[in-house]
Amino acid sequence: MASTESFSSSGEAVISRKIDILPCQKTSKSVDIDTVCELQKCVTWIKSRGFTRVALQFPDEMLHLAVAVVTQLQTRLDNVKVFILGDTSYGSCCVDEVAAQHYVADSIIHFGHSCLSPTRRLPVLYVFGQEPLDVEDCAEQISKLLPDPATKLILMYETVYHYAVGCLSERLSKRCKKLVLSHLVIPGEGCPDSEGDKPLKQTEQSSDHNGVCLCKCGRKFVLSKQTELVDFAVLYIGGESATLTNLIFSFKECPFFTYNPRDRIARKENVNVNKLLMKRYFMIERAKDANIVGILIGTLGVSHYLDILSRLQELLKIAGKKSYTFVVGKINVPKLANFMEVDVFVLVACPENTLLDSSEFYKPVVTPYEMEIACNANQEWTADFITDFHQILPGGSHFVELSAEDGLTTDVSLISGRLRTIGTEDTPETGTMILPRSETMAVTTVQAHSAGEYLSSRSWQGLEKKTGETPIVKAVEGQHGIAMGYVHEGEPST
Amino acid sequence: MVNFTTDQIRTIMDNKLNIRNMSVIAHVDHGKSTLTDSLVGKAGIIAAAKAGETRFTDTRKDEQERCITIKSTAISLYYELSKDDLQYIKQDRDPEGNPHFLINLIDSPGHVDFSSEVTAALRVTDGALVVVDCVSGVCVQTETVLRQAIAERIKPVLFMNKMDLALLTLQIEKEDLYQTFQRIIESINVIIATYSHESNPMGNIDVDPKKGTVGFGSGLHGWAFTLKDFAKMYVKKFGISEEKLTKRLWGDNFYNSKEKKWYKESSLGERGFTQYILSPIYQIFDTCMKATKEDALKFAEKLGVKLTVEEKDLEQKQLLKTMMRKWLPAGDALLQMIVFHLPSPVTAQKYRCEMLYEGPMDDKCALAVKACDPNGELMMYISKMVPTSDKGRFYAFGRVFSGTVKTGQKVRIMGPNYVPGKKEDLYEKSIQRTILMMGRYVEPIEDVPCGNICGLVGVDQYLIKTGTISTFKDAHNMRVMKFSVSPVVRVAVECVNPSDLPKLVEGLKRLAKSDPMVQCTIEESGEHIIAGAGELHLEICLKDLEEDHACIPIKKSDPVVSYRETVSEESNIMCLSKSPNKHNRLYMKARPLPEGCPEAIDNGDVTPRQEMKERAKYLAEKFDMDVGECRKIWCFGPEGMGPNLLMDVTKGVQYLNEIKDSCVAGFQWATKEGVLCEENVRGVRFDLHDVTLHTDAIHRGGGQIIPTARRCLYACMLTAEPRIMEPVYLVEIQCPEVAVGGIFTCLNKRRGVVFENNQIGHTPQFLVKAYLPVNESFGFTGDLRSHTGGQAFPQCVFDHWQILPGNPMEASSKPGEVVTTTRKRKGLKEGIPSLDNYLDKL
Repeated sequence: MASTESFSSSGEAVISRKIDILPCQKTSKSVDIDTVCELQKCVTWIKSRGFTRVALQFPDEMLHLAVAVVTQLQTRLDNVKVFILGDTSYGSCCVDEVAAQHYVADSIIHFGHSCLSPTRRLPVLYVFGQEPLDVEDCAEQISKLLPDPATKLILMYETVYHYAVGCLSERLSKRCKKLVLSHLVIPGEGCPDSEGDKPLKQTEQSSDHNGVCLCKCGRKFVLSKQTELVDFAVLYIGGESATLTNLIFSFKECPFFTYNPRDRIARKENVNVNKLLMKRYFMIERAKDANIVGILIGTLGVSHYLDILSRLQELLKIAGKKSYTFVVGKINVPKLANFMEVDVFVLVACPENTLLDSSEFYKPVVTPYEMEIACNANQEWTADFITDFHQILPGGSHFVELSAEDGLTTDVSLISGRLRTIGTEDTPETGTMILPRSETMAVTTVQAHSAGEYLSSRSWQGLEKKTGETPIVKAVEGQHGIAMGYVHEGEPST
Repeated sequence: MVNFTTDQIRTIMDNKLNIRNMSVIAHVDHGKSTLTDSLVGKAGIIAAAKAGETRFTDTRKDEQERCITIKSTAISLYYELSKDDLQYIKQDRDPEGNPHFLINLIDSPGHVDFSSEVTAALRVTDGALVVVDCVSGVCVQTETVLRQAIAERIKPVLFMNKMDLALLTLQIEKEDLYQTFQRIIESINVIIATYSHESNPMGNIDVDPKKGTVGFGSGLHGWAFTLKDFAKMYVKKFGISEEKLTKRLWGDNFYNSKEKKWYKESSLGERGFTQYILSPIYQIFDTCMKATKEDALKFAEKLGVKLTVEEKDLEQKQLLKTMMRKWLPAGDALLQMIVFHLPSPVTAQKYRCEMLYEGPMDDKCALAVKACDPNGELMMYISKMVPTSDKGRFYAFGRVFSGTVKTGQKVRIMGPNYVPGKKEDLYEKSIQRTILMMGRYVEPIEDVPCGNICGLVGVDQYLIKTGTISTFKDAHNMRVMKFSVSPVVRVAVECVNPSDLPKLVEGLKRLAKSDPMVQCTIEESGEHIIAGAGELHLEICLKDLEEDHACIPIKKSDPVVSYRETVSEESNIMCLSKSPNKHNRLYMKARPLPEGCPEAIDNGDVTPRQEMKERAKYLAEKFDMDVGECRKIWCFGPEGMGPNLLMDVTKGVQYLNEIKDSCVAGFQWATKEGVLCEENVRGVRFDLHDVTLHTDAIHRGGGQIIPTARRCLYACMLTAEPRIMEPVYLVEIQCPEVAVGGIFTCLNKRRGVVFENNQIGHTPQFLVKAYLPVNESFGFTGDLRSHTGGQAFPQCVFDHWQILPGNPMEASSKPGEVVTTTRKRKGLKEGIPSLDNYLDKL
């Protein structure tokens, strides 16, 4: 999954990473900043709302435009301080409100791709940028791929093609009579169903006289009364990305067709959702097995992240699991492997970054929804996969009360083949006459119920004094130089 | 049959000297269930209301349809001995001469796929009735189960079955039949001698007709005898003591009827056994089958067999059956043999205790078990779970070794991972109900004293398959059972509808519980795997899963074989991996463990729990490994106990202890999911040669070392000529000579290797033994049948792991294909990752 890369790449990768700059932007100096960055829209927005300190957030691939944008904005605006934020540590699709608040900004303009997660603290303007889209080629390719004009299609797209979508849908609907265009639900611009400061939700369903209005993953579309979602296929404009994966999971009953404007290829997506769901179910089992859970904060921008955090903490407590909260910035393998005592991590992040392929990780990383299924007996697995954690919070479509069952239930884990318990209970008193076994016993497989217990079962517990046992020697010079290769390394040592 | 109330049964249970717990074990189709039926018919205790139903021990519908036992079933028998016969009991017997005996009998399956059921049965019994078909003789499964019985300190008695077949169908001559018997007894004694230790506390457990530990007869016709029965008949005629006469009736004792003298040479007389035992039997067979009815009836009168009017109307075979049954009733002969020669719980627990109990031999539990004390602390071993009519709930079936188990009693339930003093795998709960299990019926009972077998309600959810139940706070576990077969055949199951996943998982859990052997797991790829001992076993498991446990439609894959990854050389370079921050370096090499060493680890001869020096000495002596290095084994893996070693061969490295936990974690990870296709690693030792560590502890923590150790271990394997190992069956096929050719063709096609091909005694049957890769065994039975006209039936049992020849790095080779398909199934990236992913340069 593409989301892994944005999370788990090592430090080295950052230095050597080739930033994806599109040929047209790189070659022509005359990138029309005005159009691409919709400067006029920004100016109007700032002026109309009367902001004075505006933070600009750019993803890596648009960073080269940053200076120009700032200069342009400064010249067009008086008495407004405009500054650039460093990229967020979590995922550039999310708005980094916390960083903006450090500079006491009163508004943020977010450039580039966005996961459209709702924010709460600051007003945000989204500028998606524009990438070239050959409407004619696209329409042609799609008519080749889907020759039947009666195919029911829902058109979805990557945010960068937002500007061209009206044109495309017009062109496509000439051939394809049953095309439903989806709109982006842009936080801050108001979803038709939300009012005032009621939290904005990404997924909603409402019916009016025209038909059913579906709102999912930041996409909104209206289906007429006679039609059902399962009859539709989804046409997605854009390349392979976390967004696409997220959409495939969320609309798993629909076949997916994609057109990638970058290499101009249209194809059917052959993702076996069942296989993916089985894989995720394995994760749920791992979560059930866990005694110690690490809650990873993977966003500081998505609204209600504190609510989900406290919800998870409560959930885990009732389930008799010990939880610890971690904020480690960008997640990678070595960082998480430092916490050997944690059995499973649960990642609180925006819907696009929440699915993390954790096979390289020492311990698996699951989503809040998976943890909810694992620990809350009231939450039933329906094979719907929820990536947006708002859905399991009060008011969401999958919200259920925490199971109030007292005492503990036991069952067998199919992963370890051992009994596991959900819930808390006074554990029976154990005999005290028996001494622990010798230290030759394996230590790493010991199941601890809290990090303290785990540490006490480690073979190494800190420096041993051994006063008088170690011979006194003069200090000798150790390795020196840089980590890539110390000075004397590589020479035959013995 | 005997109709008893629960109270009456309860009364006999108290008399522990008069209890016999025994299992019936044999090769498949040697007639256990039929024999058991005749015993049940004679002495089965059943509730009055259920009298009259047949096929008592085959409780499942498919068992009855297939005529094969799948689950072991316990039933209780009642036998009243005549006062005179009490003298034959050589062990401790009831001082008051109480002649009422309670026999708890467990009928076990004979098919090798269900061996685990036999193991579970043996654990709760003290004696075994080994049934051998006297025509086909001792077979592979006879040997397997007998070996297990001896390891568990179960005393065997032998029964030669199917004499009717030998006489009627095969028409074997008397002397030949004697020789056949003699040979079978010898081979049984050879097995006993091979597997029992010299200082066997059970004493001499050889089977010997002269001692009365061998019975002869026909389960199908319902007649049986021991030498004692005939000695009793002839004692007046010869005028010598019964004991002496019994000895003359077996072996090279020849009677000269003219001189009325016994000789040792065959030329001087007739063999006692043929003359005085086989002759009359042969005569009955002859008269009934060939002579007129009048002759037959006359003969019956001469033997003292009283026939009713209706019985006199029977013809030939039916008449023969009735006469034999009346003359030598199977029930009496067998039950006497069981009561006389199999140990009571009191006798058996004295010597079995040290095998059964893991704790010190002088704690309260051990003492109570040794004394079989109903007033001591409760010790009960649960050997299997029996499904109830309530879906998802099970009866915990087991044996009370000491104390008394009561309804409502608060007990400690200890699973196999329980370690005294720790909380893991320990639950303190009340027993909802104690029950008696008789065939397919259960009866509630207030309490059950030690020495008996019973079921418990309400503890199933705290145990997986087996466990120990005690009331003593400091009790240790009873030793877990060791199975003779391993679950090597696996299928992946999938539910048609993903929303049924929870039902599938729940079903798998129930399945895992209901069978002592089957393993149900979820793999990282999301696949649900069921592993069983063989194709038949899996077939039964899948059927149970679909129909009883999950109740949803299920898709199953073709059988999948689990492979192992290993190496064949020492790593050709010193492998270096750097930590993500580049500040720490690990230098390691891999090489194969010496031959036999992985097996020694599997068998528990070398374990992580052993004392370090003792283990090093053993490894050095047995496998010629360096003692110094062997003392520095960091750990076993995977799961902390597998057949791979991580050894520290560094010299004088500072802070090494500090990264030990991290290295071990990386090692467990890497050996569980090998580099080739994420299968377990087997038979590899990894040597840690040197390390470079950052001076600050924070920069050499788990996060830096664990992934690095894993990478380094992968590099070690890739540079040490990695190989794939496949599981291999030992196949035993019995067939007539004409079919041998067909067997060879079949085996050759499937990479099978024949290593033994013998005629069985004087019979026209041949026994072929071969090694057959499990991978090639699917559909083997059917193929073999079609090639041999249905005359050959194979028995396959997992034997060993063997390297699949060829280099897995070449995609076109056989192991290369295995790697490719396995990676595809698990949803991994195509192709083995290249070495530079794992190996770093300075």
